[in-house]
Amino acid sequence: MRKSKGRQKIEMVKMPNDSNLQVTFSKRRSGLFKKASELCTLCGAEIGIIVFSPGKKVFSFGHPCVETIIDRFLTRNPPQNSGTLQLIEAHRNASVREHNVQLTQLTNQLEAEKKRGEALNRMRKAGQAEHWWEAPIEGLGLQQLEQLKGSLEELKKNVAKQADRLLIQNSNPPQFFGAGNSNHGVIPFDTIIPYDTKNVGLSGNAMPHTYNHGYGRGFF
Amino acid sequence: MTRKKVKLAYITNDSARKATFKKRKKGLLKKVSELSTLCGIKSCAIIYSPYDSQPEVWASEHGIQHVLGLFKNMPEMEQTKKMVNQESFLKQRIAKANEQLKKQQKDNREKEMTEVMFQSLTGKSLHNLTMMDLNDLGWLIDQNLKNIYRRIGQLNKVAQKQVQGEPAAAKTEGTMVGSTSTSTTPSEMNVDTMQRQQWFMDMMNLPQENNMGFGGDEMMLPFGDNSHNALWSNAFFP
Repeated sequence: MRKSKGRQKIEMVKMPNDSNLQVTFSKRRSGLFKKASELCTLCGAEIGIIVFSPGKKVFSFGHPCVETIIDRFLTRNPPQNSGTLQLIEAHRNASVREHNVQLTQLTNQLEAEKKRGEALNRMRKAGQAEHWWEAPIEGLGLQQLEQLKGSLEELKKNVAKQADRLLIQNSNPPQFFGAGNSNHGVIPFDTIIPYDTKNVGLSGNAMPHTYNHGYGRGFF
Repeated sequence: MTRKKVKLAYITNDSARKATFKKRKKGLLKKVSELSTLCGIKSCAIIYSPYDSQPEVWASEHGIQHVLGLFKNMPEMEQTKKMVNQESFLKQRIAKANEQLKKQQKDNREKEMTEVMFQSLTGKSLHNLTMMDLNDLGWLIDQNLKNIYRRIGQLNKVAQKQVQGEPAAAKTEGTMVGSTSTSTTPSEMNVDTMQRQQWFMDMMNLPQENNMGFGGDEMMLPFGDNSHNALWSNAFFP
């Protein structure tokens, strides 16, 4: 069952449903102006279109502009070709060209992003089929939900840790003890020394025996 | 009709331009006519081309003088309110396309980070993520957790009601088993979960640790067990 009448044959009579009519007007008017604009760009035509909306507002499109087209038509005068007018028109055309270029770029970008979106959708679908935790949560049982909850909470902690790590890395370049150090061998009290848990306590061999007291099991 | 993409610029080839003009002019006039008929409105179109000294004109019933007269009789502000030329019309289209693009990019970003989230759950390292990635990821995790808490609450309510003997509200839409019962019983869930756990434990080739019992309440997904899973990044656990 089709959702909309697009690409379906539609009868050429006034639309019976009023809200459909409003929507149709809006869409088709927009499309009409787009086609007119393209005709002007592609073929150098000069066009004027006037359209009254169902709500009695008036929409108009004109190139170079609505008023000159109407005047030209009503007075049956050939277009004036003064030097100034031509200059103005040249400027205007250059601006229009730029806009067309920009519009084309945007449209291409949009198309690319849409394709990317579709690819991402496919990935999601594949993932959902493969792993139960990727499926929508409405389909998960209570135990699965609890599991997933736990894993996500853990992941959240790790993300926060990694973020802190990055912050520290970026703001505090690591201090190394060496010739350039002006501290004369004294370790600044807030230096972070990575602690290796493997060499501590019962299995530890880093410390001489006499030093194990107090260090050993506390950290294990 | 041809579906070749046409470049939005003046067609320099004379014959191609003339052919395009004929086709498109015809199509344009047809569209104006359709718009008028379908919506029961008054309209007109005036087309000047280098190929004819006389303009090509179309108008709805009553003719072009009627429409032009109606137009000119409107106060100037009303006339110009919705008036556009090439430049302003293109600006409008550019603004709209920009809006659509930003929205699509935002949606894609969320989808992308969802993939990252699921990959991280199975052990992929967080090392390659930028600060912005981490922020977005954190936000996404929160969104998911919110939904999960809510859902758990719903299911618990249902379970409570069953215990009290009331007919439970059918809030479980589309459970995996596809049964028509309003909720899955605990024993069903256990069996299902156990089977799945067995499956991906085999997949991950993890040793069958004694402490990896099933059904425990501190049970995490097996790949979340940091000390045993070789894939999990050890960066945060020195």
